[in-house]
Amino acid sequence: MDGMITEIERFALNDGPGIRTTIFFKGCDMRCAWCHNPETIHGGRDLHDYARNCIRCYKCVYACPSKAHKRIDGEHRFFPNLCIKCGKCAQVCYAGAMVMSGERMTVESVMAQVVQDKPYYDDSRGGVTLSGGEVLCQQAFAMAITDACHAQGIRVGLETNLNKPFDDIAPLLSKADLIMCDLKLMDSEAHRKWTGTGNETVLDNLRRLDSLNVPYIVRTPVVPGATDSDENIAAIAAFLKPCRNLTYYELLNFNPLGQPKYESLSLPNAFAGVKPLPKARMQELLALAREAGIQARADA
Amino acid sequence: MDHIVMINEFPAEEEFTYDKRIRLLKQRKLAQTKEKIEREGGLDEDDYGRVVAPDAFVFEPDPNHADGSYYGYEGWAHNYAKLLGEHPLYCDPLDAFVGRGFFFMTRRKSSLWNPDHPYTELKAAFDEYNIICGIGSDGHFTPDLRMGFDMGWGGILEKLRKFQQVNTTPENRLFYRSEIQVVEAIIAFLKRVSEEIAGYAERERNPCLRENLKEMSRVNLKIATERPGTLRECIQWMCWFSFFSRLYNRGPSGGQLDELLRPFYERDIAAGLIDDETAKFYIACLFLNDTRYYQLAGPDEDGRDMASPISYLILEAADWINIACNLTVRVHDNMNEDFFRTAVRFLFTNKNGWPRFSGDNSLVNGFMRCGYDQTLARKRLAAGCSWMSIPGMEYTLNDLVKINTAKVFEVAFREMTEQEEEPSTDKLWQRFEKHLTRAVHTTAAGIRFHLDWQDQNEPELICNLLSQGPVETGLDVTKSARYFNMCMDGAGIATVADSFAACEQRIEKEHKLTWKALTRQLELNWNDIDGEYLRQMMLHSERFGGGDSLGDRWAVRVNNLFTNLVREECLRYPGLNFIPGWFSWANTLEFGSRVRATPNGRRNGEAINHGANPTSGFRKDGAVTAMCNSIASVQPFYGNCAPVQLELDPGIAGNEEGVEKMVSMIRTILETGNTLLNINIIDKHKILQAHKDPSKYPDLVVRVTGFTAYFAMLSPEFRQLVVDRVLAVNGDDVA
Repeated sequence: MDGMITEIERFALNDGPGIRTTIFFKGCDMRCAWCHNPETIHGGRDLHDYARNCIRCYKCVYACPSKAHKRIDGEHRFFPNLCIKCGKCAQVCYAGAMVMSGERMTVESVMAQVVQDKPYYDDSRGGVTLSGGEVLCQQAFAMAITDACHAQGIRVGLETNLNKPFDDIAPLLSKADLIMCDLKLMDSEAHRKWTGTGNETVLDNLRRLDSLNVPYIVRTPVVPGATDSDENIAAIAAFLKPCRNLTYYELLNFNPLGQPKYESLSLPNAFAGVKPLPKARMQELLALAREAGIQARADA
Repeated sequence: MDHIVMINEFPAEEEFTYDKRIRLLKQRKLAQTKEKIEREGGLDEDDYGRVVAPDAFVFEPDPNHADGSYYGYEGWAHNYAKLLGEHPLYCDPLDAFVGRGFFFMTRRKSSLWNPDHPYTELKAAFDEYNIICGIGSDGHFTPDLRMGFDMGWGGILEKLRKFQQVNTTPENRLFYRSEIQVVEAIIAFLKRVSEEIAGYAERERNPCLRENLKEMSRVNLKIATERPGTLRECIQWMCWFSFFSRLYNRGPSGGQLDELLRPFYERDIAAGLIDDETAKFYIACLFLNDTRYYQLAGPDEDGRDMASPISYLILEAADWINIACNLTVRVHDNMNEDFFRTAVRFLFTNKNGWPRFSGDNSLVNGFMRCGYDQTLARKRLAAGCSWMSIPGMEYTLNDLVKINTAKVFEVAFREMTEQEEEPSTDKLWQRFEKHLTRAVHTTAAGIRFHLDWQDQNEPELICNLLSQGPVETGLDVTKSARYFNMCMDGAGIATVADSFAACEQRIEKEHKLTWKALTRQLELNWNDIDGEYLRQMMLHSERFGGGDSLGDRWAVRVNNLFTNLVREECLRYPGLNFIPGWFSWANTLEFGSRVRATPNGRRNGEAINHGANPTSGFRKDGAVTAMCNSIASVQPFYGNCAPVQLELDPGIAGNEEGVEKMVSMIRTILETGNTLLNINIIDKHKILQAHKDPSKYPDLVVRVTGFTAYFAMLSPEFRQLVVDRVLAVNGDDVA
């Protein structure tokens, strides 16, 4: 069994309780305009061009079968439209100018990394977080890793957008020790506008999540001009009030750190230059959420 | 005499709280640090609490040797007594204590080794392998301050005179005559101090400060001969011992601070003499006086935690004064969890690199492998940058003996490529083993040589007085200590392991490079055709710290070899217990400057890795856990350290959940085999700004290696090293 992984990050402190290893799956079925991990959206391999790291060795020019790399006037030039994403340039680019993201990994190779930090998971009540991209796009692989972790006594958290039919995803969700899911917008049209899909499936799943008896955290990325209205946060908080197994609702401030990745992938970033919300505004929204009578937190 | 005395700086009607005094003392400290930077430039070492000497004070030692320097008992005792007779007094009426130093005698000597005892034969190998041999080095062990508290200077003098009657060889007579001369000079100095302060008290116009000076005078007169009775007398005694030992030869480490102070604190509290606020003020002033290393908490002989109310007060006092401190919390199975959490909170809220954390299980179990019992092993305290010591019971040369294994590697590599037609990592290893064996042999011989002659070079006239053995036998501690646990550190383990790994991966496994091509690139410092490309290729091989990488496997092999070689020296020199460790202290730049380009992509003269840490960029995610697992795998495990140096962003513990994660992280790092954990809490943007203009951040303190220092006081090269380390684990916002 193998799957497509963007990267594995050890000593992850922001992806669930305790000290964790986060496995970033590759491929997502939403297209959130503010995504700060654009390299995880596409399910195949992606090539990043970090031109500032180029040492002008031109090894890529010789390695590339599709002539996407050229030497022009003593400079390296990359033509993404010619690239077939074979990764041969990245294999010879030790300086880190051409970097491939996306690797097919077996469960065994993932676990070989995961188990190295088991003492840290055990003491901190942490574990492994399967994140993305979207974990539900590679359910069988996610299930296999979850089983392998449990066999080693390692807890597993899922970060998911819950955008698949409940009956399809319930077997995986019910195996998780913690579910961390997003509810970005209560208005379905707005949801479609900003993520490319309506929120009906997400809401339906959230209504049924209690039946699995797995603790879950619901989070909203608070994005300026998109999800940060009083009405949206209040409506989400009200929607969550009946949720019995909700550990807490969390407001995540906008993360602006994706810009270098957008540039490296030659992708437009709709939120380039946008700053996170001021702390005071986050506190206002937090207070609003708490007015609904639910446990709520804000990260900044 | 040109004293530094700050009397009548405030109007008579001004009132002072402890808080106000601390604030003013802190301001004074920052101004003194600025003056030190302006006058002395970058100093890549501890702060020591030193101040700049008055311009008019010039000490001229009297030589007793034809080379113009002074050596042995008589030379040192005479000049020390002379210096005490001339040394200006530093007195600040805001402070609880008096006595600050300007320099160490050893730093003012033209020669640190008596030329009557040459070691030319050893020196050739020391130079070849870039070994810091320790011959003529001093002060890196821990005297037992309790002995001083129990006897006072008068009692120490009595003890010397008593044993002077018992031990009567010519060598003994010289020992006692010199030690008595030193102690009499100390007592005379303290009496002079008391008289001077009494005079200042009469002149001070502010009643609050006048009363403080009067009490200061009384305390000093008492402890000139008598044993300290109150907490204030006890800490003043400690301040003076710091001063006396620093003035002599930079001096030793402190000890178990909470347990040293506890009896005095409890007595004073019970008698209603002080409250906690006063005790805290005294302790804060102790930290202002000197940055000596102290341990807090940890197991007593029966394994019970020693944390007590004064342990908390010590942390609060360090936070209050908020300067460079060197406190280590000992983490063990029966840890007081509340105290542990409190210590971690201070680490993240104060952000000045304290406390550090040491791992009791690894240290105790490791030291017991040397043949000691658990009771003794538990007494071996965190005492210096990387080292442990049993107060009053052992002589060690801790942190003073280092073998640059990167240099050993360079010698082995050159020999192999010159002599072998078909080089290989196996053949390289054989030569590395041969040369490391020779380096360790020579280093051990150097340590034996030091012990044989150091008393005729620089006897430990101050530390002898609080050690078990010297006074009783009439011999210097280098000949009379109860235990000789001789530290031998390796430096450059990651540089060596990464070099082996890069050769194995790129030459032998992937065939992307030949030995011949690599050799040529190294000779040309990666400046031949494709040099930078090949350098990047080697640099990005599987490195130490990667997690079950080739580099990790080579590092374990290097550590096992080094550890075994060091331990084998115990058989060659009965009575000496050689203990291996991995630590470079602040020598990473100096060691690197002596090593040409290495196969791990390092250029000529670049720094070697720091301590047992991996080289910068060891993993893309810079995972702390991966790094700590790797360092745990190269612990020699005989009671000395291969420390973890960690740089963390303050936001990592920005709330209680974050603190809990850090508590767990620290505990796990130490439970998985690590011995000592140094942590910097640094905002990477702040450190980058401070690097551009250090003068804008005069109070930024960083833990450089084992010691803390004002960032502004470091040389630009060392500031760059700290910055690189911060970026290595916190990212530099590029791929």
